[in-house]
Formats: sequence, structure tokens, C-alpha cells
Amino acid sequence: MLQFRFHGRGGQGTVVATILLAKAFFKAGYYVQSFPLFGVERRGAPVEAYLRVDRKKILIRTNLYDPDHIIILDPTLVSSVDVTRGLKKGGWILLNSSDHPTNGGTFSGYGIAIVDATRIALKHGLGTRTHPIVNTAILGAFPRVFDIPPLETIIEAIYEEVPVKVEKNVEAAKEAYESVKFYKTPMGKEAG
Amino acid sequence: MKTVMEGSHAVAEAVKLARVQVISAYPITPQTHIVERLSEYCADGTLDAKFLRVESEHSAMAALIGASSTGVRTFTATSSQGLALMHELLHWASGARLPIVMAEVNRAMAPGWNIWTDQTDSLSQRDTGWIQMYCEDGQEALDRTLQAFRLAETVNLPVMVILDAFFLSHTYEPVDVPEQEQVDEFLPPYNPRFYLDPDNPCAFNQLAPPDVYMEMRFSIQVAMEKAFDVLGAVHRDFGRIFGRHYDMVEAVECDDAEIVLVTSGTVTSTCREVIKKLRSRGKRVGLLKLSLFRPFPVGEIRRNLLKARKIAVIDRNCSFGAGGIFAQEVRSALFNVPNHPWVYGYVAGLGGRDVTPEVIEEIFRHVETLECPEDDSFWIGVREVENGIGSSR
Amino acid sequence: MKIPRELVHTFPLFIPRSYKTSEGNKTGSWRFLRPGYLEKTAPCSSACPLGQDVPTIQMLTVQGAFKEAWEVILRENPFPGICGRVCFHPCETACNRGEFDEPVAIHMIERFLADTARRYGLTPHLEKGPSREERIAIIGSGPGGLAASYFLTLLGYSCDVFESQEKPGGMLRWAIPFYRLPLDVLEEEISRVESIGIKIYCDKNITEKDFQSLKTRYNAVFVACGHQKGRNLGIVGENLPGVVDGLDFLIGLKRSEREPRIKGNVAVIGGGNTAIDVARSLIRCGAEPVIVYRRRKEDMRAFQSEVEMAEEEGVKIWELKSPVKVEKKNGKLMVTLQKMEVSELDSDGKAIVVPDPSEKEEVLFEMVFKAIGTEPSEAWYATAPPARDVHDLFSSRIVFEDDYPVLYGGDLFSSAKTVTNAIASGKEVAIALDAYFKDGKAAIMPEIERCRVGGSSALSMEIYINGERSKRSPHVVSFREINSDYFTLVPRIPQPRLLKEERVLTFAEIDLKISASMAMKEAGRCFNCGICNQCDNCYLFCPEIAVVRRTVEDGVFRQINYDYCKGCGLCVVECPRNAMVLEEESA
Repeated sequence: MLQFRFHGRGGQGTVVATILLAKAFFKAGYYVQSFPLFGVERRGAPVEAYLRVDRKKILIRTNLYDPDHIIILDPTLVSSVDVTRGLKKGGWILLNSSDHPTNGGTFSGYGIAIVDATRIALKHGLGTRTHPIVNTAILGAFPRVFDIPPLETIIEAIYEEVPVKVEKNVEAAKEAYESVKFYKTPMGKEAG
Repeated sequence: MKTVMEGSHAVAEAVKLARVQVISAYPITPQTHIVERLSEYCADGTLDAKFLRVESEHSAMAALIGASSTGVRTFTATSSQGLALMHELLHWASGARLPIVMAEVNRAMAPGWNIWTDQTDSLSQRDTGWIQMYCEDGQEALDRTLQAFRLAETVNLPVMVILDAFFLSHTYEPVDVPEQEQVDEFLPPYNPRFYLDPDNPCAFNQLAPPDVYMEMRFSIQVAMEKAFDVLGAVHRDFGRIFGRHYDMVEAVECDDAEIVLVTSGTVTSTCREVIKKLRSRGKRVGLLKLSLFRPFPVGEIRRNLLKARKIAVIDRNCSFGAGGIFAQEVRSALFNVPNHPWVYGYVAGLGGRDVTPEVIEEIFRHVETLECPEDDSFWIGVREVENGIGSSR
Repeated sequence: MKIPRELVHTFPLFIPRSYKTSEGNKTGSWRFLRPGYLEKTAPCSSACPLGQDVPTIQMLTVQGAFKEAWEVILRENPFPGICGRVCFHPCETACNRGEFDEPVAIHMIERFLADTARRYGLTPHLEKGPSREERIAIIGSGPGGLAASYFLTLLGYSCDVFESQEKPGGMLRWAIPFYRLPLDVLEEEISRVESIGIKIYCDKNITEKDFQSLKTRYNAVFVACGHQKGRNLGIVGENLPGVVDGLDFLIGLKRSEREPRIKGNVAVIGGGNTAIDVARSLIRCGAEPVIVYRRRKEDMRAFQSEVEMAEEEGVKIWELKSPVKVEKKNGKLMVTLQKMEVSELDSDGKAIVVPDPSEKEEVLFEMVFKAIGTEPSEAWYATAPPARDVHDLFSSRIVFEDDYPVLYGGDLFSSAKTVTNAIASGKEVAIALDAYFKDGKAAIMPEIERCRVGGSSALSMEIYINGERSKRSPHVVSFREINSDYFTLVPRIPQPRLLKEERVLTFAEIDLKISASMAMKEAGRCFNCGICNQCDNCYLFCPEIAVVRRTVEDGVFRQINYDYCKGCGLCVVECPRNAMVLEEESA
């Protein structure tokens, strides 16, 4: 079983991202379970959402404490939220950022991949400069980093689930897939 | 068709497929997603039902009592304080023998305000004459909702389908949504035994003096008894049409178990995982999942538990001054049988506190090491509190 | 459990159910009091000189039925745009809401409805009676003459109006300053009245000879030439240059293309509305007017709100001073003022004053304006031979000269010389003439009597033509009879106005329009005294379900099923607006 944790802010589409991803994994033949952080919601406040995927039925129905990998939709969260809490050693961090993170030190033992989802979202007219909708771009980067699920299933899920600007979202996902930068591997090596 | 959906939406799909005619509800977290989806279905015409907006849960139930009295299929959903507010009318619905179906998303009672899962809200309505069914996952939530209509309409009692907050209501997972034709075969249109009819006017639920009241109550008790047989038939039909098989209880590895854990709701699912692990370590442990709470399946419980030596009941609820409610019920179900096993009651996971595999294992170890329960109920995971009147945060 | 299994499957579903009906029990036989629906008269309607159906107007306004509300006004009043602005609204003084919080702003809603109709260019649906052969001549196109022609035309008569001036309107056009009544409002209202088929001949001064000739060509003549001449003070020096008649001044203002600039202290003698109009107009021309009045401020005949606004704008009021002499001095006018003192109060609480011979003062003014009252400019009407066959009605007089009816009304006859009273006079003339033509002289008084609204001197045309209103009881609903539990305290909307600094600079209209939502909210404050607004309290509260509600083509109506009504009177008590009645059952 693989466990993913998504970090974002209320209103960014973090929960929707995990749902889309769950659907994409399901299309690819996985059992899935996704849920938000159970609690009260507030726009702009840090939010978390979770995804479990497995080849067999998922029985565990608890909160998710020890993710294999994390996905960060908003780079400013890195300084305010303990994003690597419980993250298993050797896990990857997929980060929405224009540049590699400055505090790479605290991420030792983890691989770092970055994608400039904000730029890509704005380029495709998703959201506004003050409020870019980055979730579909992040989803596009996901299969590039984790090899699963196939990008096609993600695109399929976007077609089925996203109510507006579908083509723009698909283009953003495709562009993100192509523009992931691997900053370093979990072993600390510079990635190519 | 199998698709990924939230537990709340699985219930909404079932209500749509059941061709419910009148819905009335008042929003409350964590139930809101159910009626939100249904109101969309009513608004866009996907579901040809009347959605009555009301100003409280009390009115929602009152509205459905009126609607159901006219012989139509009805549905509502609520949680926690909302359910408590309905209390008076829950008695009315069962006393009037109206087959109303309600989804109840378990949420803790305030204060302090807590929107997370806890069974005390639904179990507080134990004696209202409603049938209660507890669900483990999204699939069961959908399936039980469909079964609830058949059961309710056959025995003329209202049914509560109960889901854990968030762990079920807000969790997305694969759910097999049946075809409309299948559902129509399973659940024919509601054919009421009695209903308000302007062409044949009559009055319902007027004065019932001592010479008839007791028989009316007896009639409800009889209907509850009959529900066992009816639910058996419903389960058989359901399995035949949909290929998914249910029972009032589900025994996992109970045949040779020395210790059986008794669970309800989503804890069951996690417990299955723990049982596997414990079995792999050679522990003779089983699991009994309780799906039906009212009527209480005493026979099934005895049949599955009498072979074991120790029974550990996990309660996500508490009757203050007594203990976990499922534990009390299981204990009294077994008491009159000679050589019955010890019953250990565990109160855990109140107000949404996580019941993790570690918590379940802790319970197992406790049962394993304790020869007999020196107390009726044990609280698991209670932290020390230093400042007695301090706040939670 | 413990129930035998066979019983589980044989014991029936058992609930309380009954097919018995209690309908056979005709509880109505217990009743000794009998409730019923009876609409009554609202105090505002009765206080309105035109007897307008105010509560219905408010009810329709609340519903947003602005055109319908406007048409309800037009049944009783051809000039809502004018009256909404210049009427002294006695309706509001009488409003029962005044005893609760504040009166409903009835005049603001009337103006709103008229302005709304004008803005959308609405054409009212007015019911017109069958054509009649009689032709009526009307002398004067002021509010009285035009109102008479309007109502007579609606009753089927053909009317010709003769106006001595170049344009119709009388005092509406010449005496009321623009800041109270803008010209476009006046012209629109006159042209709407004209459009129903009235001919107005302007520049047609009627001499006595013309008058005799009218009598040969028409079946009746209505003399409504009004008062166009200011009264003299009767003191020395009042004809000196610089002493001006107030009314002439107002007329001159209207005729001039630009307002004259007047500087310095000026005196306005008088305490009526003309005095106030003159003083406020003088402020706008740059002068510093002082109103000199022989009695106290509270005794002035002018509308109180006008007096207040005049003072706001800077008009000074000198009370208890009476001019006794005007002299020329250094190019100015020296006025000798006699101090007056209150000797006693009359029955209305107004002061009766006498000179205080000990005190006199002399004050210099640039100009002096006389505004102590008016009189007719034509004397011929008074020279008519004394007639024997005279019928004095509330606001008009009919004189039969060998059975030929000549009527006098408007300012000529009314004691209250206001626009609204003049319109009322015109309406009274129309009713009286119609009654006479149809049923002869003897029918006039009974018909006038029948049309009275709530026993007051206000007459209703709708009652006269046996419309819905004629079914109402003349009983005037008092505040005591309103169930005020159904109303919450809501402040009256304030009248939006130009700032006083803006006001004194121009003759622009002072009172600004209100929005539709404000009008609807304000109309919602109306108790709708005595009329049913379909609140359904009777239906909801009846413990016997004896109030039957039926939907018919033109709405919902309610009736009482006396088979079951026990006469408990709940419906009558819970009717918020006293549109029901509870009476002893007749034996």
C-alpha cells in the first residue's frame, strides 16, 4: 500500500486533487481510499488531504500518519507547517515551486521534485495571479515523479470530473508532466 | 458501475435509485453532503422528488411524518444535535408505523462542540422504535439504504442507516452503483397498507385509551421480531440480484476463536486487518461485526459467540454511569445462557479519536492478559488531565 | 425473544385509526354571537377631503402593484402627482399608526405612485359611464374646475372649460412656487385629464354677457373661477410704490423668464400659505424676508411643515405685530407696527388678539408684500340676482335659476382654500349634477349623503357609482380596534430633501423622490384599517375550521360555515385590521 499526503490551502483544490488522483488510480486498476483532514475548513488556512492506493482492498480506516510521499501545492507552507511529519525515509516531496527549496536541509533523506504549477496554471488561464488553481498541474507532475498512475488516467479523470475549462486543465497537466525538475534523490544525489 | 465516491454520495445514489418521493432535511455537518447532493438531484430533475426545506430537524421529521402518511416513500438525513432535536418525532414515526428511512451520520454530542464520529447520538435513540443498521464502508452504506426501504415498508417501521462521520461519510473509495433496473426489481414501488385518502377520509393516531394502547405497543414489538425474518429475506433477495451478501451480523474467524472482538461501523474494517495480523502470530482471535442493532439479533449473537471464552466489545459511545452500549446489550444477550463467555467492554474512539490498529491490539492484549473482567467497561486511551477545568486547546 | 413465533406473523399492524366524522355535530347551534366579514372605513380615508381609499392604495403598493394602486387613486382624485406634493395630508394626521409609532407617509407614496406612472408613461384604465346628452360649461381651469370636468366626463357628460389666462391650471400654475410643484408635473397631470375628452378654452375671460350666453348653450354652468386678487390691508400707505400684492408677486415670478434679484430687508404681511410662499420665494431671489403676523406662530393658517421649512431657510417670523401705517422714508418704506396681545383663545385654541396701545415700533423695509388673503377678481358672479332656490352642499353651492343649475365651488365657496379642497368641491359638483340630471333636485342631498366617507364631508365617487367600496361600513376604525400585536414598531421613512443650503439658491423641487423599495416598505407599515388584505388570520385561527377559503377566478374569498361556527369570536379578535364584525345572533 502506498500512502500520499497533500498539503495545500483551503480554496486551492487540494481535496479535489486527491479525489481526481484516486479516480485516476482506480481507472488504472488500484483500490483507493482518499479523504480530507477531518475538521473545520477555512479558505487560506493550511489543509491536508490523503490518498491510500493498493492492489488489494484497503481495510484500514484510520487517519494517515506515515505517508510514503508528500505533495505540496503551496510552497509558502514549507515554513509554517511541519510538512515532513511522519514522512517515511526515502520518500519523495513533490513541490509546487519555481525554484528549488532554500531549506533543503530539513528535507534530507527525501527526494525532491519541483514543478512550477503556479506558472503553468496562470499560463493556461486557471485562476488569477492572487489565486491560481494549481491542482490539475500538480496532478500532471504526479505520474512523472511516481510513475503511477499513467498520465492518461489522470487526463481521463480531469475530463470526467472538472466542470469548467476542461481543455485548459488537461493542457496544464500535460505541460506539468513535461516540466518536472528532479532536484535531488532521496539519497541526496543531484538528480539529472 | 464501479466508481470512486464519498460515503455520503453513496447514500444519495441509493436514495435516488430507490425513487424516493419526498425528502425533507436540515443541514448539519457531517451529514450535509447527503442532502446537498439530493437537493441537486431534485433541482435538476434527476430525481423526481419533492424536497421540503424546513427550519429544523424537528420540522424535517414532522414533514416526513405528514408525507409518509399519504403513502409515499420518504427520506431524511441528520447527525448529532439534529437527531436529538428529532427525538419526540422519532417516537411518533414508529408509533404511527411509517416506513421513513433516515441516514444518520454518527457525530459526537456537544458540548464541547465536536463534529467527529461518535455513536452516542444514534444509540441515545435506542428506544424510539426505529430499526438501526450500522455500516462499515461506502458500499454497505449504499446497499443498506436500499435494503432499509424494503425492510421499513414491509414491517411498517422506520429505519435508521448509520454511518461514521468522516471515516465513512467523507471518505472516497470504490463503490459499485447498481443499475436502476436491478434496484427496481429489488425495490418495487411503495404500496402502503394505509394512507391518508381524501376520498376515504379517516383520522390517524388519535386518542388510544388504556384498553388499546398496550396492544398497539405490542404490535410494534411484534413488527421488530418480524423484522428478523423479513431482513433475512431481504438479504437473500439482495444477494440474488446484486451479488453482494449481507447478514445481521458477520462472523470472521469465530469458529475456533478464544477471543472474539465485537465491533460496529468503520472500526470493523480496521479490525479485520488486525485480526489477520494477530492470526498470523498464532492468536485464536475472531471478529463479530454487528450490522443490526435494533432489533437486537440476540440469536445470531449467541450462535456466534457462545463458543468463545472471552468477548471484547468495542464501543464508540458511552451510556454514562453504565458503560459502552453495545457491550451492555451483548452481555445481556448472553447472560441467560449457561456457561456464557466473559464480556469485556471497551470505550474507545469517542468524538472522532482514531481507533488505530494499535488501539485494537492494545484491547486484545488487555483481554488476553485479564482472566476475567473486573469491571464492566474499560476506557482506552484516556490521557491524564492535569488542570480539571482547563480547555481542550 | 419471548413472543411466540406464530403470533409474530399473525398479530396485526395496530394503530389508532378512525373513520367516524364529527360533522353530524352541528356545533353552530351553540352560537349566540355571529362573526362576519365587514369592511369598514379607515380614518385616513375619512379625513382625506377626497375620501381616497388609502388602505387599498397601501395594500396594492406593498404588493408592487403600482399601476393598480395609482388607478385606485384616480378613481377619487385626478391629480395624485400634485396632491402627493402640495396636499396638507390630513390623512396622516388621522392615521391610526400615529398612535402606535408614527403615521404612514401616505403623501410620499401617493407622489411615488404618480411619478412612477409618469416615468413609465402608463395610461390608466378608467371606467367611463354611458354617454349623456347634457353639456356642462365650467368657468376656470384650476383644480376645482378641472376636477369637476374630469368626474363629469367619466360620468358620461361633455364638458367645456373656459380659462381667462393663456394656460390652464389656475392657482396650481400661477401661485404655487416651483420648489413645491414643478411645472412638468403640473402639465402632465393636466394633459392626462384633458386626454379623457375635455375641451379647455384658454384666454377666454367670461364676462357677464358671456355667462348669460353659456346658460343658453349648456345644461349647467359651474363657476370655479377662484380667487385671483389679494386683499387690501386697509391701512395708510398700502398703495405706495414698493408695497406689492403677494399673489401678484408669485404670479409675476412664474411669468418672468428669470427670477428678479431683490436685496435687503423685506416684510411679508400675513400668516397663510401665500405669505409663506412669498417669503420663501423672496429668499430665493436674494432678499431677507420677515413675516409679520398679527397673531402667534402657532395660530398661522399656513401648513406647519411649510412654516418650519421657511424658518430653516432663513425666513424670520415676527409674531403679534400688526402694520398700521406705511410711509416713504429715505427711499425705503417705514412700517409702523402695532404690538398685539392675546385676549383669549377661540374654540380651536387659536389666539384672538387685540392691540396693545402702549407699544408701537417703526421698522424700515426695502419692500412690503401683502399676503393676508385673496378674493375673486370678477365681481359679476356676485351681482347675480338673489336666488331663492339655493342648495348649499359641503364645498359647493347650487343655485337654480328657474330650474337652471348654476354651481359655485372651489375657492369661491370652500372655507378651506387648498388644492385638495378645491378638487373635492369639483367632485361634489359632479355628483350633485349627475344626481340632478338623473333623478331631479330631490335626489341631490340623499345622494351626497350616501357618498360620504365615514360620515365626514369627504365624498367618494366609487361609492357614488356603487363600486366595491360602497359595501363598506361607514364606521371609522379607531386605533383601539386594531390588533396591534400583529405589528412591530417601524420608523416612518424620512422624506429625502435637498439641503437647506441648496434649497435657497434655486426654485428646484425640494422633496426628492423615494425608491420603489422604500415605498413598498413604507406602505407595509399601513395597518390597512378596516379592509381585508387576505392575511388569512381568520382562516388560521378558527378552532372549528369553520372559515372556508375558496379560490375563485378573481382571487380568494373566505366565508364562514355557520353550521359549525360556535361564535367564539377568535377570528374577529385575531383580525389585525378590524375587517370583521361580531354581532348578537338575531333570535
